[in-house]
Amino acid sequence: MGERKYFHAIQILEDNCTGCTACVRVCPTEAIRVRDRKASIDTNRCIDCGNCVDVCQFHAIIPSSDPLDLIKNFKYKVAIISTSFFGQFTEDISYAVAKQAVLHLGFDEVAEEAMVTEFMISMIRDYIRANRGKRPILSSNCPAVVRLIQVKYPALLPNLFHQEAPMSILTRYLREKISARENLADTEIGIFLIVPCVAHVTAVHQPEGAYKHLQDGAFSTGMIYGKVRDIIKQVQNEPLTVETYPKGLTWALSGVQAELVDSDDIRALSVNGVENVMDILSKVEDHYLDQYDYIVLRSCTNGCVGGCLNVENPFVAMSRIKKMIKDGETKDIDVKDLEELYNEGEFAVVPLTPRPIMELDKDIKKAIQKMKKINEFLTLLPGLNCSACGSPTCYALAEDIVMGKASIDDCVVLLKRHSKDENE
Amino acid sequence: MADYWNIAPGMETVLKELFSRDIEAEVTLEFNIPEKDFNNAGKGSSETKNVLKRLGVDSEILRRIAVAAYEAEINVAAHSIGGKMTSLIYDDMIHIKFEDSGPGIADINQAMVPGFSTADDLVREFGFGAGLGLPNIQKNSDALHISSAKGEPTLVEFLIFFG
Repeated sequence: MGERKYFHAIQILEDNCTGCTACVRVCPTEAIRVRDRKASIDTNRCIDCGNCVDVCQFHAIIPSSDPLDLIKNFKYKVAIISTSFFGQFTEDISYAVAKQAVLHLGFDEVAEEAMVTEFMISMIRDYIRANRGKRPILSSNCPAVVRLIQVKYPALLPNLFHQEAPMSILTRYLREKISARENLADTEIGIFLIVPCVAHVTAVHQPEGAYKHLQDGAFSTGMIYGKVRDIIKQVQNEPLTVETYPKGLTWALSGVQAELVDSDDIRALSVNGVENVMDILSKVEDHYLDQYDYIVLRSCTNGCVGGCLNVENPFVAMSRIKKMIKDGETKDIDVKDLEELYNEGEFAVVPLTPRPIMELDKDIKKAIQKMKKINEFLTLLPGLNCSACGSPTCYALAEDIVMGKASIDDCVVLLKRHSKDENE
Repeated sequence: MADYWNIAPGMETVLKELFSRDIEAEVTLEFNIPEKDFNNAGKGSSETKNVLKRLGVDSEILRRIAVAAYEAEINVAAHSIGGKMTSLIYDDMIHIKFEDSGPGIADINQAMVPGFSTADDLVREFGFGAGLGLPNIQKNSDALHISSAKGEPTLVEFLIFFG
């Protein structure tokens, strides 16, 4: 079997890259190196968290999502909107109008993640109760977190909630329903997600654990935002009746989601921000958090509202969504069909497999030899962790040298010291 | 000084020899554990875990090592006047030693009873001191040795094999 190639929804524009190493320093899996003054991403290590996209000042790291024209390839076009989307507009723009505007982008039908939040919560509770031996259960909705666990905490893979995420559940459900109702073949129906982060774009193009064909593309909230605002101006005075699901918007906020799952027999914890997530995963590995039954883990600040493709500040977006939840009225959706699909196992995912990046060598004896060499180089390096060499830390440079990916001459500080010694 | 051993019957000679192995460890890591420094207690075991991940140690064995090391490290911070942790990594096992400067364990057998704790209020405030430390270390290690007495330094050391 050949090595799997990993798709990532992040592109480096070499012409714009100055080699500043800002991205190198914020990458949680140490996937980025600057060599010859250009950044490059190790596709095996990247988890699509989007930290590098956020930090790059030079527009050199660009999130890629699909062009909107893609929908023209399908007879029946459906958009599924991520819950965080509705926190992106000023308060004079109503939830219903924002949703209607997405329809006018050229879709035949608009659905939203929020529709299945309640169903998700009951599914999660059911799953926790059926898997008491594997506590804590870790949420799997954030694709960056799933990939983080695959690369850095493979021992925790069995703890992941092994069921599809809400937008994929909705996709499976809508595909079946529309195909029957409109009398269309699967290939004639295009289902697209409107997403807040690069991890979700990656997940659409290379889903982990999916058994069946899911979505046909992903559009970034940021990319469609301008068009949607223009449409809103036109439709604001002639609104259609659009159903909304304010209660379900809780999904965008990691803290509120945990509160909903929490119950008499289930203790839930909520964590967001990739650094916090890593700290918590390390503690789960130590069996230090076994008192929790469920942990909501989101790579971005405050949950999906913090996604790097959003336009609004995550705290402002969170406050707006909380207001919508409080003010709005939700029509309950009929979950009977969803329950049926769940009971048939339609939402199950393939057991997730490790993508280990930490091992120095498959053979422990060789790994030890490499580690000894790393430690030798480490004593030579200045220990400033300045990243000027293009590796994130002195340790990472020592590792890169031993793995044949860098040379000790890459260390700028040593170079300066040597030239000073020579001059004296 | 009282000695406490937890070794599978029949393995005494072999395992006791491993505790005093005369070959040098492939990788040695040392950490200071200051008294009541709960902000930093746990760094030694976390660092050790990172090294073992790089060596490709099986993830379930890694979790056992992490639990035992973390418990022992917290014990030193919580109950002693300070000490140090030494991780000795070989190609087939890890030997971790915790040596403190006192005040010693008066009755080791009693300390091995789950639920028994002498933790003071400050320690409990941090959420530690449930009396599961030493029994948990015993449960997760392949061999355990404790040497201590009231008013004396304590040595807690254990072995965990990689395969």
